[in-house]
Amino acid sequence: MNAADFQALLPLLVLSGGAVLLMLQIAFVRGVNRSAALATLTLVLAALSCASAVEQAPRQVTPLLVMDAFALLFCAVFCLAAAVTVLLSGDYISYHGDEPEEYFLLLVLSTLGACVLVSANHVASLVLGLELLSVSLYALIAYPNKSILPLEAAIKYLVLSGTASATTLFGFALLYAATGTLAFDALGEQLTATATGRPMLLLAGAMVFAGLGFKFSLVPFHLWTPDVYHGAPAPVTGFLASVSKAAVFLVLLRLFLDADLFRYRILVELTGLIAILSMLAGNLLALLQTNIKRMLAYSSIAHMGYLLLVFMVCIERDNRGLAVEAAAYYLIAYIATIIAAFGLLTLVSARQVEREDVQLQHVSGLFWRQPLLACLLLVALLSLVGVPLTAGFIAKFYLVVAAVDGSNWVLLGALIVGSAIGIYYYMRVIYYMSRKPEQQVSQAAPADGLAVRVLSGALIVIILLLGTVPQPLMAYIRSIL
Amino acid sequence: MDAFWLIPALPLASAGALLLSAGRMPRLWAAGLGVASVGLAALCVALLARDFLAQPGVRQITLWTWMAVGDFTPRIAFYVDGLTLVMMSVITGVGFLIHLYSVEFMWEDASLCRFFAYMNLFVGAMLILVLADNLLLLYLGWEGVGLCSYLLIGFWYRDPDNGRAARKAFIVTRAGDTAMILGLFLLLTELGTLDIQALQVAASAQWQVGDTLPIVATALLLGGALGKSAQLPLHTWLPDAMAGPTPVSALIHAATMVTAGVYLIARHYQLFLLAPPTLEAVAWIGLLTLLLAATTALAQNDIKRILAWSTISQIGYMFLALGAGAFASGIFHLMTHAFFKALLFLAAGAVIHCLHHEHDIFRMGGLRTRLPVAFWSFVIGSAALAALPFTAGFYSKEAILRAVWDMPGSGHWLWAGGLLGALLTGIYSFRLVFTVFFGRAHTEPDRRPGWKMALPLGTLCALSLVGGFFALPLAGVFPARDHAVVNHAVEYLGIGVPLLGLAVAYLLFLGRQVSIAALLASPVGRALQALWQQGWRVDALYDALLVRPFTGLCHWWRKEPVDLAYNAVIAAAHWGHRGLAALQSGQLRWYATSMVLGLILLLAAVLRHAA
Repeated sequence: MNAADFQALLPLLVLSGGAVLLMLQIAFVRGVNRSAALATLTLVLAALSCASAVEQAPRQVTPLLVMDAFALLFCAVFCLAAAVTVLLSGDYISYHGDEPEEYFLLLVLSTLGACVLVSANHVASLVLGLELLSVSLYALIAYPNKSILPLEAAIKYLVLSGTASATTLFGFALLYAATGTLAFDALGEQLTATATGRPMLLLAGAMVFAGLGFKFSLVPFHLWTPDVYHGAPAPVTGFLASVSKAAVFLVLLRLFLDADLFRYRILVELTGLIAILSMLAGNLLALLQTNIKRMLAYSSIAHMGYLLLVFMVCIERDNRGLAVEAAAYYLIAYIATIIAAFGLLTLVSARQVEREDVQLQHVSGLFWRQPLLACLLLVALLSLVGVPLTAGFIAKFYLVVAAVDGSNWVLLGALIVGSAIGIYYYMRVIYYMSRKPEQQVSQAAPADGLAVRVLSGALIVIILLLGTVPQPLMAYIRSIL
Repeated sequence: MDAFWLIPALPLASAGALLLSAGRMPRLWAAGLGVASVGLAALCVALLARDFLAQPGVRQITLWTWMAVGDFTPRIAFYVDGLTLVMMSVITGVGFLIHLYSVEFMWEDASLCRFFAYMNLFVGAMLILVLADNLLLLYLGWEGVGLCSYLLIGFWYRDPDNGRAARKAFIVTRAGDTAMILGLFLLLTELGTLDIQALQVAASAQWQVGDTLPIVATALLLGGALGKSAQLPLHTWLPDAMAGPTPVSALIHAATMVTAGVYLIARHYQLFLLAPPTLEAVAWIGLLTLLLAATTALAQNDIKRILAWSTISQIGYMFLALGAGAFASGIFHLMTHAFFKALLFLAAGAVIHCLHHEHDIFRMGGLRTRLPVAFWSFVIGSAALAALPFTAGFYSKEAILRAVWDMPGSGHWLWAGGLLGALLTGIYSFRLVFTVFFGRAHTEPDRRPGWKMALPLGTLCALSLVGGFFALPLAGVFPARDHAVVNHAVEYLGIGVPLLGLAVAYLLFLGRQVSIAALLASPVGRALQALWQQGWRVDALYDALLVRPFTGLCHWWRKEPVDLAYNAVIAAAHWGHRGLAALQSGQLRWYATSMVLGLILLLAAVLRHAA
């Protein structure tokens, strides 16, 4: 390890150092605001350090991590998303008189896990990052330990996620048995040398895919999603739905690209089938939901299905550039949108009695009570629908272009049908928000204040900017691929 | 003047400010902002024109690339050449005068702010339309002006009739727009670009004159042009569009928006030159429209409807010119027509304004001495409209008729039709003047137009007189035409026929040497009167052919198979939702089981493939 290595690794080092500092701080002085400030500082610093680290990119640091511009871009995005989560959760997490300092520590750790995942190009670092991310998430979900729903959600997530991790590990073990290596590119070299028909390799690929597919809730491994989303505290749900899913998706994409698993056509074809099922099932399940968190959970299944299109497009080597570009833009737009949507739910439900339950009537008449917050949810929902001039439109448009380039007409059809169904349930929320308030349904006034306003305004602007001036980000992504 | 992006930005910004103020802005500010933004835009155009005349050449600017995905790069990019400059001068110049006029005309209206917001939005959208360097942006402007037209026709929305007229305009033009967007798709798939210049170069390289593809593509574009410019068979919306405030009729439904179709064809002339059959169709459609509209104008009583039909007829002349390949003459007539038609509408507005919103010309009369400003405006405007010698309209119409005569093939027939139209124009325009301003007074005006009305009228009078001497900077835009030997008989006829029309109008409506009543009493006269009054019954025809079958079909299908399909979709979605939701039992053991089942299925599929 020399200085350049350290510089390339800077974001991860900042996050780890911040976590240690946070732990020490909690040990000596307790205080929610202090911990939140330190966590925010750590995350923002880590995001900023990506700019310094990118000078050394791409650089292989130890055999485990590759710090390229692509990984660093997402490290920065994850850190910023986590920082927003920290800022949004202050009120929510401390309202019931818990002692929530460790909450921020866990959030920093799981961000670290996500950053390790996107820069992993070795199975060991993949597993390490995955577990760091997941184990922190178990605790985060269960954090409000005085209510039933979070505990139930955490147990479910723990058991099922453990099963999924075991499946993945088994898959990797099989891969190792067949090839004798665990680095992604070395795996690729070994695999090109062997025939594609070997059952053991196919089984291994399928198991890895199944285990990771659970993490981003693809049909048929999707059943946990609504329960966990519903039970978890709203800010944690936002983090889980955006950062955790994006990280797992990116590492799976890197694995498939580096090890060229696209050669295994049956795997890719199954991916396509799973994508179609996810799009349809997710949208259909969301159709009549009155619980907004569950509705977003189901819709996230569909969105991950849309994203899976990228794998189909990647079959043709020529289309890979466009496909990865589309995936990257999609993920960034999706993270911004989801953080905004769950951020709003956090603010609305922070002081409710049953705060894990956010029903449609809780946002009823929001336009008349809190126009700015209503605009935030409006923009987020329109972005999820994919209305032009929002981030979601560009993201979806990118996917469609990639799909057309790859001539994946069936998936494209499913995407269109799914989006059409989606319009209904997203619009229903907007309809509820614009109703004249009857009597005050919501028990307590939603959180308000300068910080909340600035944050909501900033999120609205980001989503709209990603939709109206997407060119700089697109050009940057293209330049680093 | 490099910052010509300011030209559309100014009215758009002002429209935004006016809209956001939600009517709370003081009237004076709203009016001031509305007028000043267009005035400043006109100033910018003037500066740009000075630059351009000193140093001709195409100017291009790319403001913003929305995104670049693959080959698809929609851009906000502007393109300025002589044609754009002429269009912008008309839009902002005439637009400014009409905005100024509106301050007085609309001052007592409660929604002054909304009015200026829509008007500014219109000017901005129209400028985008003519500045666009690609068809996608042009289409944005195209739809923008359509939207503003809809909003302004239905400006007094409390009267359901106005709403109906607005919807009619929107729906009829929609038919044309659908054809146009299909044309855009066709051009994009065949030529791979929507940049207007690149597209025409590619078309000239790829296609031969008379190929099927350019004919289809231009026919589809023509569909859009017919709708927007109110030409046969999509002309029926324009007379009804007079439901809007008179300044709106002057700006949108006479001077600028309705000429967008002419602009579209002129802008894509290289494409149209590849499709001679389409060009021929353009000429014949223009001729038929101009004759139909001119005869209809003869039988109308509503002052604004007469002017509306005359607009349709004059745009017919422009189409005739385009069809004959005389693009520059068409644009020249577009400009002079903008001057005198805006003048006529504004003068008509002044009459209406001062006569308690009276529209029927037979209840006016004798206004020559009572409203001298309106009278002289009408005399000059009608002279230009009828193309009496030395007015602006004379030069442009002469140029069109000469070009049509030179056209090979059916040129002489088209020329004869155009000449007949000129005769009719002379008759109907002076029928209006003689009836409204001479003879016995039926209604007394209760006020006189103030300076805000008189100034635009005076300026437009001057333009209608001298506009014919303007030399348009179109030399580099359109191909030069070799002038055939001028046939003097053609020229003399062109000069004489409008005068003949004036004489006929004098005999019938002022001197009354020939009794109009006797003409109307004859069976033929009665039949023609009835036919022309209803615009050749085209509306009734469409009603019988399109509207009634459609509503009948709707009525017949009301609860029948079509709904079943929709209900089936809904039922399927509900069924799917219930089925899938049943799996969400909330029980951990079932979740785990389902994971294992899923894994088994996956592995089975993989193994079956491997085997």
